[in-house]
Amino acid sequence: MFAFIIRRTLASIPVLILVSLIVFFLMRLLPGDIIDLIVGQAQVEVSEETIAELRLQYGLDEPIYVQYFNWVGGMLRGDFGLSFRSHQPVIDIILPRLVPTLQIGLTALVLSAAFAIPFGAICAARPNSVWDRIGSMLTFVGASTPYFLAGGLLIYFVAFRMRMLPPSGFVLPTVDFWASMKHTIMPAITLALSLVAILIRQARASFSDVLRHPYIRTAYAKGLGETRVLIQHALKNALLPIVTILGLQLGTVFSGAVVTETVFAIPGIGRLLVDSILGRDYPIVQALVLLIAVAVVVATLIVDIVYGILDPRASRA
Amino acid sequence: MGFSIPGHHGLRGVMTAFPSSQRNPVQAIGGHARSIAGWCLKEPTGAFGALILALLILAAIFAPVITSYEPNAVNYRDLLQPPGATHLLGTDELGRDIFSRLLYGARLSMAVGVSAVVLSVLVGVPIGLLSGYVGGFVDELIMRVFDSVIALPPLVLALTISALLGPGLVNATIAISIVSVPTYIRLTRGQVLSIKNEDYVLAARSIGVPVWNILFVHILPNAIAPVIVQASLGLGFAIILESSLSFIGLGAQPPVSTWGSMVQTSFQFLSLAPWFVIAPAVAIFAAVLGANLLGEGLRNSLDPHQKQRM
Repeated sequence: MFAFIIRRTLASIPVLILVSLIVFFLMRLLPGDIIDLIVGQAQVEVSEETIAELRLQYGLDEPIYVQYFNWVGGMLRGDFGLSFRSHQPVIDIILPRLVPTLQIGLTALVLSAAFAIPFGAICAARPNSVWDRIGSMLTFVGASTPYFLAGGLLIYFVAFRMRMLPPSGFVLPTVDFWASMKHTIMPAITLALSLVAILIRQARASFSDVLRHPYIRTAYAKGLGETRVLIQHALKNALLPIVTILGLQLGTVFSGAVVTETVFAIPGIGRLLVDSILGRDYPIVQALVLLIAVAVVVATLIVDIVYGILDPRASRA
Repeated sequence: MGFSIPGHHGLRGVMTAFPSSQRNPVQAIGGHARSIAGWCLKEPTGAFGALILALLILAAIFAPVITSYEPNAVNYRDLLQPPGATHLLGTDELGRDIFSRLLYGARLSMAVGVSAVVLSVLVGVPIGLLSGYVGGFVDELIMRVFDSVIALPPLVLALTISALLGPGLVNATIAISIVSVPTYIRLTRGQVLSIKNEDYVLAARSIGVPVWNILFVHILPNAIAPVIVQASLGLGFAIILESSLSFIGLGAQPPVSTWGSMVQTSFQFLSLAPWFVIAPAVAIFAAVLGANLLGEGLRNSLDPHQKQRM
């Protein structure tokens, strides 16, 4: 088992290196040199010497591979550079923005799992029933609804018409817990809609597989009701692939954050990414894209390892 | 679909490659139901999806016939009118007719979606064929690079690429294609791995058929079914991605407008004129739903053994 964990962890290192290379070169390809941008923002005549000095200061006189290693080295030490616009350290700008994104993302994951797993189980237990049809309809509707449609409808009806929840913004849970929850619920439901689509499908497939086993027939034969068979007998075996898919949805959470945080005006990293791209604040863009990619790779790694521990057959492959 | 041996036309030359790859899926549908009408009865969900897409495409083509309003005609006397008899879906903040803007917007939204799918299939399928067939170091390298690309969530990657290329619809199309390519590579490669040691491929190889001919004439027709399914699902993905990029401000730039950019401008009027947001958003929903339903129907008939990938 230990060997499996080591092997699997080592295997993700090349992916991380490749990701960092891709991000680094993407940023070097961006229109306009970094120095041009800084000089452009200064809005005064800048002499050739100052430009040369700036190039030296930002390490741009070095060969490209040295720049890459300086950049990676800096990040490993927690130094992500300075923002072009506010001149604050990038890390100080990003960290507080993580709270709303993760709070909404986790709420969405929990909500969608709590709804989709039982629903998928019922769909699997009663194929072609009304429940199954509703389930498959939900799958299609969830997968086809853009975040701004779900979000727009929620804001209009729940916030503007019924005045039950605030339409936009965010409050930190440390400041006011209930207000924070009120700001979390609509964006989380918006995000959960696409997660529900994926999870119902997976839960249905996973339960269908398990329900075919003879031990389920035995459980029914000895007179157990559907609920007990599903919860006590099928759930344990069906859960593993569902949890795996759930763990791989971190990417969906980040993708969704970009749109939902725009819809609900939430100061999270999704909105920060959009603002930094539109405002050409490249150090922030670069750090965010890399952080998101690393988070996704690490989440995949953890899911793989947990799967290997829970189902030892997988680790021997 | 069965593994029909493409037969002697494999030796006939270049041009036969594409007709044969197109004929195959049609035969596969035919194998199930013999005709399109039969397929619609057998796959009502897929047929419903095809119907939605067909209606949207017809609406886009015949926009000038369906509506008498110019999509860009500004009318300051009728700002933000609610839906009614004169303006079917109301008017926007400049008094333009929303229904006719939706119809004309359909042209661009559909065009971007279709071009992105075509582009990513044209790039992804050959790379997948080659990667799977050649194997070894090349395969390893290609798969590793695209594994890393997939580590970036689709919208985040599309955003970054759009930022790199600059905002605009053409660049958004390119960005969406780049994001979609890995799926087609992976899919095609998997198919190639499972059929490259079939007798008919070995036979072609042993009589000295050139590699490109084996790939496109012998392997491709038998590997294309899941790609067609994915292309339909990919259309929905591309439309939703384009609308998200436009909503954020990196897709269509004014005066050009797609459904996504209509939502972007309308969102600030949500409390005053909810129909202004809902109309284009529902159009996007309908198009994506159509593509997803069609993809599901195609999967059931073309590719019954494939695990569901959504």
